[in-house]
Amino acid sequence: MRSTITDIIKKSPFGPIQAHMIVSKASVEELINFLQFAIDLNWDEAVQSRKLISELENQADALKAETRGLLTKSIFLAVPREDILDLIKLADDIPNTVKDISGLMIGRQMEIPKQIASSFLLFAKEAAAITDAAAEAVDYIDELFQFSFGGNAAIKMQQLIEKLNSLENKNDHSEITLRAELFAIEKDFPPINIVFLYDIINKIGELSDRAEQVGHRISLIASR
Amino acid sequence: MEVIILYGPYLLISGCVFGFFMAWGIGANDVANAMGPSVGAKALTLSQAILVACIFEFAGAYLAGGEVTSTIRKGIIDPALLADSPELLVFGMMSSLLAAGVWLIVASFKGWPVSTTHSIVGAIVGFAAVGISADSVNWPKVGSIASSWVVSPLLAGIISFLIFKSVQNLILNTKNPFDNAKKYVPGYIFLVGFIISMVTMLKGLKHVGLTLNFQESFTYSVLVGIGIALIGSLVLRRVENTYEQRGDVVFDGVEKVFGVLMVFTACAMAFAHGSNDVANAVGPLAAIVNVVQSGGEVTSHSTMPWWILLLGGVGIVSGLAMLGYRVIETVGKNITELTPSRGFAAVLAAAATVVLGSGTGLPLSTTHTLVGAVLGVGLARGISAIDLGVVGKIIISWLITLPVGAGLSILFFFSLKGVFS
Repeated sequence: MRSTITDIIKKSPFGPIQAHMIVSKASVEELINFLQFAIDLNWDEAVQSRKLISELENQADALKAETRGLLTKSIFLAVPREDILDLIKLADDIPNTVKDISGLMIGRQMEIPKQIASSFLLFAKEAAAITDAAAEAVDYIDELFQFSFGGNAAIKMQQLIEKLNSLENKNDHSEITLRAELFAIEKDFPPINIVFLYDIINKIGELSDRAEQVGHRISLIASR
Repeated sequence: MEVIILYGPYLLISGCVFGFFMAWGIGANDVANAMGPSVGAKALTLSQAILVACIFEFAGAYLAGGEVTSTIRKGIIDPALLADSPELLVFGMMSSLLAAGVWLIVASFKGWPVSTTHSIVGAIVGFAAVGISADSVNWPKVGSIASSWVVSPLLAGIISFLIFKSVQNLILNTKNPFDNAKKYVPGYIFLVGFIISMVTMLKGLKHVGLTLNFQESFTYSVLVGIGIALIGSLVLRRVENTYEQRGDVVFDGVEKVFGVLMVFTACAMAFAHGSNDVANAVGPLAAIVNVVQSGGEVTSHSTMPWWILLLGGVGIVSGLAMLGYRVIETVGKNITELTPSRGFAAVLAAAATVVLGSGTGLPLSTTHTLVGAVLGVGLARGISAIDLGVVGKIIISWLITLPVGAGLSILFFFSLKGVFS
């Protein structure tokens, strides 16, 4: 049975975005496992892990489609539609990039030199922490909305964004250290492998960037 | 005249059956829109909502429903013009009840946002204009009713926008929303009590034998408002700033405070709905009963028998008990996005507008008014996503309901006339 009142109030598009962010978080966490397997040259486990990453990416795609489906033309939203579309687009880059990284590493059976393994893992773990913080901010949209984007909720959101920024800063330094370590030993390895290794580092850096951009988009939504 | 004397009891009984059927339909379907938001916001459980609806729908119909009933009964058409052929008024009102009832069943089956009020007004205008004569319709009155259908959703939207803006500024956007909620919510409760009793005392209580002037009404309404606000404050004292799971929704302290407020607005909404919509069933029936009981005399000054309102009230309550509770449940389940802090603003604005309409004798659409109120909260950024497509559907349903209601009632009118002559 339908009624006019139920027809007029639609589901919030933030629901699927929050679910999407949880999936992204899980995907980046799985990437850490994957990288550990790669460092240990445990390719059987790595393939299993890669399967999980693929599944998570599929889930994320479905949630992205669901979000867009809620944004039909006749919908009037509390925040600009473009902001929501941008948000989901940025967020969806996270599981995609994770899938790219794992695909590339499996395909080339890439070895990570023992000398840089710990810096490499640290760098990736920091990217996961940034995704975590971004997911926390996305999850906080509900409170922000409940308190009409003001009061304590807005202050708390600002704090979450600041935390995100400081994590990103730390991550930038880790990237510099990691690149320097790799530069110091690169002559001892086949050049093509090294080129791809730099590519992987770039992609992990991209993960952190995307997560940070998600946070910034949220703070923009919050400040309107 | 002969027809009335010959078939009087039959006409009376079938009139009662049709009127009861219409009231039953209102209870089964229409009440759900009025009560749904409160159930959806988890301010009331389903059984509490039904209890509130039973009591306050009836109270609204009895205490504040007189003006709208008299508009439906004798405001749209001039009964004096029918003094020579009273049976036409009886047939016409029976046709109108049937036409509106049939159209509402079709529309609810299809899920169209059709209004009970629009159907019955369209039906009455239809049989009068075509079946009797275009002059028998009080066109200026019909014009003001039709414009009230545009004005009431707009007014409700503006009121709900302002109410929710005030909630944002006084409570939600502050450092300490919970404390401010406890501080200001009794004020909103006062407003609920004041508005409802003010309109009722000013306009509705004449037929109960109580005539109050503006000054008296104002004083008593302030007292009623304060009394209700005090009751609210006592309840609020027990609300703690902790999280609570209600169904699949987690409520924090602020929403729990607004939940208390929403119990009061739900009562107001049921009262407002009763005061406006019961007339759709009771008005035509009252016209029939008057003619038949006076043996064919069309009297516009006669009083309305008390049992007609009772019949309407019982009809609504039985519709509610037999089918309405399921509709309320469905509506409630589907609008969990409307939390108490939002829902109360929409419901209060709608209730105030509808009660105002009842006081001035204008039959409004409760549902459309509520839609306007929900849009108002949405424009104040209170609801994350609202579908403006519904507004288009409502406008189309206006354009369709009037001719269809009129056409059906003309059809039934000529059939009845043919059968009895």
